[in-house]
Amino acid sequence: MSAIIEIRNITKEFKVLNRREGLKGSLKDLFSRDYKTVRAVDNISMTIEQGEIVGYLGPNGAGKSTTIKMMTGVLEPTSGEILVGGNVPYQNRTRNAQEIGVVFGQRSQLWWALPLVESFKILKDIYQIPDADYEDMLSLYRSLVDIEPLLHKPVRQMSLGQRTLSDILAAFLHNPKIVFLDEPTIGLDVSMKSKIRTLIHALNQKKNTTVILTTHDMGDVDALCHRIVIIDKGKMLYDNDIEHLKSFFGSYRTLRLRIDGDLKAQAEIIGKEIPECSVSADEEWISVLVDEEKAKVIDVLAKLQKTHRIKDMQLMEISTEEVIKKIYEEGVK
Amino acid sequence: MKLKKYLTLTRAGIIEALQFRLSFLVMVVGNLLYLIVVYFLWKAIYASAGTDVVNGMTFSDTLIYLVLATALFNFMEMYIVWEIGRNVQSGKIVLDLLKPIEYRKYLFWAYSGTFVTQFFLTFLPTFIAVAVVTNGAIPMGINLLYFVISVIMAVSINYSIDFIVGTICLYTESIWGINIMKQVIVLLLSGATIPIAFFPDTLKTIVSYLPFQSIYNAPLSILLDGEPKPQTVFTTLGIQLAWCIGMMLLSKLFWKTSLRQITVNGG
Repeated sequence: MSAIIEIRNITKEFKVLNRREGLKGSLKDLFSRDYKTVRAVDNISMTIEQGEIVGYLGPNGAGKSTTIKMMTGVLEPTSGEILVGGNVPYQNRTRNAQEIGVVFGQRSQLWWALPLVESFKILKDIYQIPDADYEDMLSLYRSLVDIEPLLHKPVRQMSLGQRTLSDILAAFLHNPKIVFLDEPTIGLDVSMKSKIRTLIHALNQKKNTTVILTTHDMGDVDALCHRIVIIDKGKMLYDNDIEHLKSFFGSYRTLRLRIDGDLKAQAEIIGKEIPECSVSADEEWISVLVDEEKAKVIDVLAKLQKTHRIKDMQLMEISTEEVIKKIYEEGVK
Repeated sequence: MKLKKYLTLTRAGIIEALQFRLSFLVMVVGNLLYLIVVYFLWKAIYASAGTDVVNGMTFSDTLIYLVLATALFNFMEMYIVWEIGRNVQSGKIVLDLLKPIEYRKYLFWAYSGTFVTQFFLTFLPTFIAVAVVTNGAIPMGINLLYFVISVIMAVSINYSIDFIVGTICLYTESIWGINIMKQVIVLLLSGATIPIAFFPDTLKTIVSYLPFQSIYNAPLSILLDGEPKPQTVFTTLGIQLAWCIGMMLLSKLFWKTSLRQITVNGG
């Protein structure tokens, strides 16, 4: 394995206008402007090997997209060095573009009014993909997903899931060394999410493509990533494998229940019945935080079902935000 | 093959443009209304002037000039400023920047499909209509060849100006005002709304030092000149070529230095 991306101590600062409030403030802004410097990315270093799938996590506004934009060459770092496939991305953006693929979950790079196959043909010419490679890729796609119905459908008529799937296929089409996936599963239903995860995994395996994945969905991370990088407020919090991270969130689940009667009172009763879990209640739900090392969720549920009439229940995974909060609070062990 | 990389974008543009039938109809009707306004406006101007020839141009000279200018405008205007501004605001520009083609070229070729469709759907019909209706007011000779060369350079100059103004959107992050300002300046100083012959002398001198007259005035005066003197034609084309190269370099340089400024929105 060899390093495909090398990042050394990069920092990115933006100058942001301090806007004053109200009409009077806006008028003042026209004449005197007050800028402040915001550090979106603060001294981050990492090395990514060819063929890795790296989960790049962090709350909204943590600096994930800024880092990705620097890796793709759209933004120039304020300081520090980046090498992507041996190139400095912002100096050789067009050459770098040949080696990377991108998917932004919120936007599409496909030609809106045209059938998917036309977009593929355009990309084939733009990236100068040889005919044989193009055909190989298409037959690989055929073996992985059912693309025939998609190929002749105009992109604007596609569902969000189909469009995202198409965008991912388009990003891999020129067989890039690296693919950046920015929240690819945002807004998708469960079956589509799993379809897309399978597809990404298969393409990574078959083509040894490095994948950088940003997401808020821990399901994506669990299914795809071995390595996880977490940043918050521009600073790197965590860079290690997923097993290690699981010690932070893996064993905790929140079980939420809806029961007849006064929830506060019921919560107290439940708290006494299962002393190993902490129980709390709000207006709608009783929340039971279960540490799976001490008690199985299923056992807790079975126990409660005998004594209470449960009208509704939910099982909550701990979200990325909570993991990050936990890491913040407890530090990396 | 290198050219295929670009021509595929032209092809896509044509196919895309052909998807929207109604927009063509609306545009044709809109043009017709504009031309009717132009007709009556200039009729009134000539009526109040009291002479048949104003500033060396007859009423039909002026009208032919303006109708062709409008047709040329429809063909050349690509709304690039609007497009860049919108892409900056929405953040879509990132996806275009990540194509393995320089953005300036990418955008041009992505829009070149509209040239082709507009040429056949608006310019050519107008041209033929004017030629038929005026019965030979447009000279058909070597001037047509010069005209084609001139238009190609005009397209390039127009694009460079649009691209420069579009680049300003990276700084302002607003489009509307800038776009309107550009449009008014270009259309007025290029002679697209009023023939340059009608300008006061000082303005005429100023305009002759600016690139705008190379966009509309130059190709149209070449087209409408039945007996072109080689010297006049080559001077006009030479000035155009100089602006063509100059503006291209300027837009390239401005874009390159501005890109550092970019703070891409969203995501």
